[in-house]
Amino acid sequence: MISRRPFLLAALGGVSLLVSPLRLAAAEAPPADPAVAFINRLADTAMQTMVGKGVPDQERASRFRTLFTTDVDLVEIGRRVLGRYWRTASPEQQQDFLRLFEDIVVLTWSTRFKDYGGDLRHAVVGFVDDGDRGLTVTSRVERDHQQPIMLQWRLKRTEGGFRVVDLIVEGSSMAVTYQSEYASVIRANGDRIDGLLNALRSKVADLQSGAAAPRN
Amino acid sequence: MTARRSSQSTAARIAGSIIALGLLAGCATPPPESDPEALAEWEQVNDPLEPMNREIFAFNEFLDTYAIRPAAEGYRNVVPQFGRDRLHDALENLKSPLVFANDLLQGETDRAVQTFFRAAFNTTFGLLGFVDIATEAGIPAHEEDFGQTLAVWGIEEGPYLVLPLFGPSNPRDAFGTAVEWYGDPVDLVLLNMGYDWATWTRSGISGLDKRERLIDTLDDIKRTSLDYYASLRSLYRQHRTAEIANGRNQTRLSTTSTSGASSR
Repeated sequence: MISRRPFLLAALGGVSLLVSPLRLAAAEAPPADPAVAFINRLADTAMQTMVGKGVPDQERASRFRTLFTTDVDLVEIGRRVLGRYWRTASPEQQQDFLRLFEDIVVLTWSTRFKDYGGDLRHAVVGFVDDGDRGLTVTSRVERDHQQPIMLQWRLKRTEGGFRVVDLIVEGSSMAVTYQSEYASVIRANGDRIDGLLNALRSKVADLQSGAAAPRN
Repeated sequence: MTARRSSQSTAARIAGSIIALGLLAGCATPPPESDPEALAEWEQVNDPLEPMNREIFAFNEFLDTYAIRPAAEGYRNVVPQFGRDRLHDALENLKSPLVFANDLLQGETDRAVQTFFRAAFNTTFGLLGFVDIATEAGIPAHEEDFGQTLAVWGIEEGPYLVLPLFGPSNPRDAFGTAVEWYGDPVDLVLLNMGYDWATWTRSGISGLDKRERLIDTLDDIKRTSLDYYASLRSLYRQHRTAEIANGRNQTRLSTTSTSGASSR
């Protein structure tokens, strides 16, 4: 069901464009906040990659990997996800973990909305600057026939701009969820980090073979 | 999570402890006090009944794999999207008296007014609620339940609990679910009129509707997680906290065009 209000707004916008192009140009003048622009660009790219039809899964995954390694601080997230086990892990285990974690995240998110037929529309609705503690950009994703999804992007400032350090979906932080899940796996394996690494390896293999197989 | 709630009812605390003690039978051993980090994690996970919960979770999974999910798939295949949307809207509308009561019990007068007008619009112009015109008119829906009301009243969630059939919960939310099960105004009216079957039909369709809407999300979490149980536990508890806060605990929204990020 198409909401009428955006249509109405678009129509009004169209009219005012015809009537006074100058005023509209003036209205555009206050530049969008750089953090908001960053999220808009990131979300647009991600959505196009996710919903894109006829893109082979491997291509989809590699595009996501590029996106994640440039705009998302996977190292910082990974350290937080491993939590107290990060310090007890050997440097090799840390590197292994970060590599596997990247694989899992890429494989998980690149296929998340793959089979979703409809439109995904993403719009930033606000942001809060917490100074040194980073920024939070709030946005919503509208889907056909479904309640919109509320997202919060936790960002940190870097030399060149911003990097994502967490994504909160409907109140659930992805970093916290991974952390809680992985701690549970480590505990189940007698507090051994290698237990988690093995579980991650077999999950990556599963997801890769699942992605390679034709889907019905 | 609880630091903000000052009005902690003693009675609720005692009740919570009794329930917890009663359930302590199938219980995991906490880490020793010599390992404060492990202990902190154990407290944060809040799942002392994990062994029992995992058993019930496995039972639910069995039920879901062989009965509930196939039924939801069947519903999806037989009823087209348009029909499912109409049914969903109607079910949501039937929940309005309950949501309205919870809005009031939480002192959320604005939201109570919203719920009231949504029900009024949708029941009349929305053809008995089958078309949610209120959302289109700019009054969005929101969820409330008695578990959330209890939380607003300062009652602790208690240990994480997996209920047979109903899934992730805790003593507080389980009690809330039970109260709603017996106290739903629409169901009470139907029962008084002697239409017992209608309340069961409504519960059945609600369950199908809920499960159908979760098919893709749950499939995806199950497919990509290492420990489905632990993922759902974490997601449920975080989502619940956010629901109780009605979005207030999250970031306050400021408009995108104004100040803020200019500090550096």
